[in-house]
Amino acid sequence: MTVLSDPLAPTSAFAIEADGLSVRAGRHVAVERLGLALDTGVHGLLGPNGAGKTTLIKALATVVRPHAGTLRLSGVDADRGDLRALRREIGYLPQRFGFYPRYTAREFVEYLAWLKEMPRDAVPAAVDRALDRVGLADRADSRMKTLSGGMVRRVGIAQAIVNDPRILLLDEPTAGLDPEQRVSFRELLREVGGDTCVVVSTHLVEDVAAACEDAVLLDRGQLVFRGSIDELEAAADDVGDATASTFERGYSALLRDHRERVGA
Amino acid sequence: MRKTGPEQLSDEQLVRRVARGDRAAFDELYRRTAPWLALRLRRRCADEDLVAEVMQESYVAVWRAAGSFAGASAGGSAAGWLWTIAARRLVDAFRRRGRSAEVAVAAPPEGHAPSAEEEALGGELDARLATELARLSPELCAVLQAMVLDGLSVRETSLLLGIPEGTVKTRARRARIALKEALA
Amino acid sequence: MSPVDTWHVPDALLDRFAAVDGAALPAPEQWSVEAHLERCPDCRARLGRAMATRSPELLAVVEDVRAGLDARISALPAPARRRWGARRLTGGLLISRLLACVAVLAAATLLDLVAASGGGAAPSWLLLAAPVLPLLGVAASWSRALDPAHELVAATPAAGLALLLRRTLVVIAVVVPAALVAGAVTEADSQAAWLLPCLALTAAALALGSITGIARATALAAGAWVAGVVVPALALQDTPAALEPAWLPVWCALAIVAAGVIALRRETYPRMMER
Repeated sequence: MTVLSDPLAPTSAFAIEADGLSVRAGRHVAVERLGLALDTGVHGLLGPNGAGKTTLIKALATVVRPHAGTLRLSGVDADRGDLRALRREIGYLPQRFGFYPRYTAREFVEYLAWLKEMPRDAVPAAVDRALDRVGLADRADSRMKTLSGGMVRRVGIAQAIVNDPRILLLDEPTAGLDPEQRVSFRELLREVGGDTCVVVSTHLVEDVAAACEDAVLLDRGQLVFRGSIDELEAAADDVGDATASTFERGYSALLRDHRERVGA
Repeated sequence: MRKTGPEQLSDEQLVRRVARGDRAAFDELYRRTAPWLALRLRRRCADEDLVAEVMQESYVAVWRAAGSFAGASAGGSAAGWLWTIAARRLVDAFRRRGRSAEVAVAAPPEGHAPSAEEEALGGELDARLATELARLSPELCAVLQAMVLDGLSVRETSLLLGIPEGTVKTRARRARIALKEALA
Repeated sequence: MSPVDTWHVPDALLDRFAAVDGAALPAPEQWSVEAHLERCPDCRARLGRAMATRSPELLAVVEDVRAGLDARISALPAPARRRWGARRLTGGLLISRLLACVAVLAAATLLDLVAASGGGAAPSWLLLAAPVLPLLGVAASWSRALDPAHELVAATPAAGLALLLRRTLVVIAVVVPAALVAGAVTEADSQAAWLLPCLALTAAALALGSITGIARATALAAGAWVAGVVVPALALQDTPAALEPAWLPVWCALAIVAAGVIALRRETYPRMMER
C-alpha cells in the first residue's frame, strides 16, 4: 500500500474499496455485506459455484449496481461519481461473451477500444500492442468466426487490456486455454500486476497459486478469507484427500471452518 | 506503377507504402530512422540488449500497423509516430523486467506552460528560460523530459523512471510552478 | 512561419549529442536537439553520420536488429488493408439484423400486393408491420439475446443513451426509407400514416427501457401494438383506427412524453443490464 504524502494528491490509497457491499443477482442476494480493500497487484478471487464471484466482478466493473454499501474505485464513489470517467480506467473480461463473427480480431478490439473512449489516434497502436501481448499478432486480421475458443478468449483479454486500465477484472480468463497459453497468460499477469490492480476470478488452483500475490475467498456471498497465498496454504490441515495440493487443502479447510462458524 | 524509388520519398510517403506491403520502402524507412531511434532509446535505457529488443518490436509493429498511420489525421511526422510506438514498447519492456531507466538525465527546467516549452524545444531558447532550465534538479528534469518531450502519461513516466505516480505528479507540479516563476 | 523552422542542429552540438557515453548534455540543449530531430530528416541523416565516429557500437546494434528484422518480417504476412469507419457506424449492429427488418418489410409489401391484386385491400400489412420494426433494432442494440457482444459493450464508458440512440437511428435510417419505398410500390393511400406511430413507439420503448430494461420494454411495446392494433385490424378486416388521422395527436403526445422520460432518466442508461 502506497501512502501518498503529497497533500495535494487524491485521498484514497486503494484501487478498490468496498464497504458493506451487497449485490443482488435477480432476486437472490449474491454478495452480502462485503468489505474489501485491494491495491496494485494480482489478486485471486476464489470460491465454490454460486459464491457470488461473478456478481462481485460485475459490481466492480460497474455493470451491476449494488443495492447496499459503498464501492470506491481509484478513490471515486462508483455510485455518485462520473461513471464514464471511471469506466475508462477499467478493463473487464466477463465469463461469457459473444462477438461479431465477421469482424476481424483487430476490428473487434478496435471497436471496443473506441467504445472505451480511448483517444482515436492512439487506438490502432494500442490494439496492435494488446493483440501482441496476448500472442495473437499473426491472427489479428482473421475473422472472429475462424478463431478457436482459446483464441476468442485471448481476444477478450486483449480488449480488457487495450486501454491500459488501472483496474483489470478478469472472470475465468483461462477457460479454453491450453497449458502453454496459460503459462504465457500468467506472465502477462505478472507484467501487468506491477502497476495495475488485477482481480482474477478462477476455479483453476494453479493459476492462482502461480500468478496471484494474494487471494480473496468467497462462499455464498460472504467473505471467508483475505490474505496472502502463504497464509491460505498455512490453513491446510490433514483432513481430506491426501493427493490434493496444500493450496487445495487450505482452501477446503477455510471453507469448512467458515461454514461451521456460520452454521450452514 | 512506381516512378520514384524509395530514396526520393518523404518519410510519411514511405510509411504509406509500407502500409501497402512495400518491403523496399520499409527497408528505406529503417535505414533513415533506426540510428536516431536507437540513440534516443539508449539515452533512456543503458541496457543495449533491451534497446535492441525494443527496436525490433517497434519496427515489427511499424510493419503491422503502418496502415493506421496512413489513416490517422494528417500532420504529425512519421518519426513522431515511430517514437510513440517505441516509447510504449520501452515502458512495456521495463514492466516485464521490473526495471527502470538507468541513465542519468541532465536536469531540465521546471515548468509546464506549453508555449514556453515549445519555444525551448524549437532551438531558439530564451536566455532566461535556458538558465532556469539549467538550474532545475535532475529529478524534476527527468519527469519533465518523460512527460513533455517523450509524451508519456503519468503512469508510463512512473514506470519508466521507477518512481511512484504520486511522486511524478508532485514533481511535475513543482516544475510547473518554477517555470511560471521564471517566466513571470 | 516561426524562425524555429530554419534552425538546424549545429555540427558541434550534434557531435556531442551523438556520443552517448559522454557527459550528459545540459537539458536545454538536449531537449532542443531531440525535439528538432523528431521533425527534421536532414539532421537525422547527419546524426547517423556523426554516430559512425561517436557511437559505433550503437550502429552495430542497429545493424544486428536489421538482420533480425529481415528474417522476422519475411515470415509475416503483408499488412492487411483496413476498412475505415464503417464498423464504427453500424457499430455492433449485425447486418443480418438489419436485413431481417428489410425482409419483413418486403414480405409485408408482397402480401399487400397480392391482396390488392386479389381485390381486398385493407388492412395493409405494411401499415401494420412498419411501426414495430425499429423495435427489433432497438432490442438488438441493447440486449444480450440480440447483441452478441452485449456483456462487453455494457461495461464500456460509451454504453449509455448516446450509443443506444446512435444504433436506433441506424435502424430507423434503414427501415424508414425502405418502408417509404415499399409504400410507393403498393400505391396505397396514406402510406406515411405509419411514420409517426413508428417514431412514437420506438421512443416509448426507449423510455420504458430505462425502467424495465430494453428487452422487456421492446417486447412490451411490440406486444401492445400487436394486441391493441394488429389483432383488431385483422379481426375486423379494416385499417386500424390507430392509424387514422384522428389519432395523430395521440401519437404525438406519446412521442413527446417518451422523449421527456428519456431525457429525465438519461443517467440510468449506462447501468441497464439485461437479465
